Amino acid sequence: MSEKRLSVEERLGLNSFVIDKEPHIKVKYEVCRSCPEKPCLYVCPAHLYTLDQQGNLHFNYEGCLECGTCRIACPYGAVEWNYPKGGKGIHYQFE
Amino acid sequence: MNSEEKFDVIIVGGGPSGLGAAYMLAKYGFNILVIERGGRIGSKNIFGGRIYSYAFKKIIDDFEKDAPIERWVRKERLSLMNDTDALTLELSVGNEYNNSFTTYLSTFLRWLAKRVEDLGAFILTGVKVDKLLIEDRKVTGVLADGDRFKANVVIDAEGINPILIRDARFREDWKPHEVAVGVKEVIKLPKNIIEERLNLGDDEGVAQLFIGYPTKYLPGGGFLYTNKETINIGIVVRLDHAIKNRISIYDLAEDFRQHPYIKNIVKGGSVIEYAAHLVPEVPQYNLDKLYGDGLLVVGDAAGFVLNMGFTIRGVDLAFWSGILAAEAVKKAHDEGKYTKETLSVYKTLLEDSFIIKEMQLHSKIPSILGNASLYDNYVKGIIDVLKNIYAIDDNPKKISKLMIDILHKHDLTLIDLMKDLLTVFMNV
Repeated sequence: MSEKRLSVEERLGLNSFVIDKEPHIKVKYEVCRSCPEKPCLYVCPAHLYTLDQQGNLHFNYEGCLECGTCRIACPYGAVEWNYPKGGKGIHYQFE
Repeated sequence: MNSEEKFDVIIVGGGPSGLGAAYMLAKYGFNILVIERGGRIGSKNIFGGRIYSYAFKKIIDDFEKDAPIERWVRKERLSLMNDTDALTLELSVGNEYNNSFTTYLSTFLRWLAKRVEDLGAFILTGVKVDKLLIEDRKVTGVLADGDRFKANVVIDAEGINPILIRDARFREDWKPHEVAVGVKEVIKLPKNIIEERLNLGDDEGVAQLFIGYPTKYLPGGGFLYTNKETINIGIVVRLDHAIKNRISIYDLAEDFRQHPYIKNIVKGGSVIEYAAHLVPEVPQYNLDKLYGDGLLVVGDAAGFVLNMGFTIRGVDLAFWSGILAAEAVKKAHDEGKYTKETLSVYKTLLEDSFIIKEMQLHSKIPSILGNASLYDNYVKGIIDVLKNIYAIDDNPKKISKLMIDILHKHDLTLIDLMKDLLTVFMNV
């Protein structure tokens, strides 16, 4: 219930999504390799940008809230951002 | 639908601005098509929780009677919040004060879309516009899911991410200092519990803004709005500050919900949805970027949001910019052509409207709200002063000395306080 702190994964699990086979956001990982700041790691409200143990950046488009923050925050234009196809992606019900 | 068919006007996006334009154009008898990427109207739209009603009442006669309104906002609250405490100012007004209301934006938009369809307009849902069709620098239609749709005018109501007009080189994308990131949780609770905890009557709602703790003491704020059986809580923080201070935005909503003040309000409730959206915080408007040959830009894509500190307005401005775009199309139609020149009347209409008048009147507010100490030392200092004044123990203190000492502790002096107060007063 409400008293418990919910992880971002748990909160995304509450939302309704129609997942597309194709990602609507493409990340140019070769650009990210030389990016020292990586603001995407903390500004994405869905925490979809993560680092693995080797320090490589990973991005999962499933769970995207379609806000656009990553595209604007990326200092090197490495986020090729588009809306998902018609009818796909997040399907908000209680907004 | 026959993709060879040509429309008078195509509207990209079925949000508040797109449907506002559609409503007025359909009323004028134009042959229009609204294209919405969401599977149904409202499935991609997000707001904080409150809408101001006057703009809708001006256009829709039976608005108050028929619109899906959850609660009329009769309590306005503004809170300063530190890690554990909150200091709140409340304006509680009596009955029949129907100035703004809470609702579900998706339900509200579906209601508005039904009205638009009743007037004879087509609304296509689940279809994404991929690009604007441009011939000889004139917008002549759109390409959507592989089909070409032609029109005399395209109204871009695509929302805060201006992908179509960016790709068509009508404008540049937002910069981090021009937007804030909003995150929001919807929490379900029984109707009577919401009313008891927030001191509300049957159809009364509360709109509450918070500064300080919700944004980790950075420019921006938290909010709380009540529907009948849900409470919306959220945080809006300027993106440039969030980047600079490495704020984990995905944690903000839960940190806020776990604050002792909020925790008691939403106790026993369940989070049922988590959303995120950008909010424009445009310091300076270039109205000449909002029209072109065969093109008008409305709503969030145009950056029409007004942050006045004690309240934030977006949906009413978006709707009204749509209404004005429809007026501009009508005037251009009467001139017999839809060129940049004839459509430039949109700029004049905006300048003469409350949208730009309000923005000019409040043009100094963004610089006041940009004062970072407002969200940090002031919040902490003022709460600290009051906490100490209210605290009684066996060590009596002179209030004025106490105030000065505490302000000093928070790097504030009485002179600073006076100067900042005067600046606020002179500019609002």
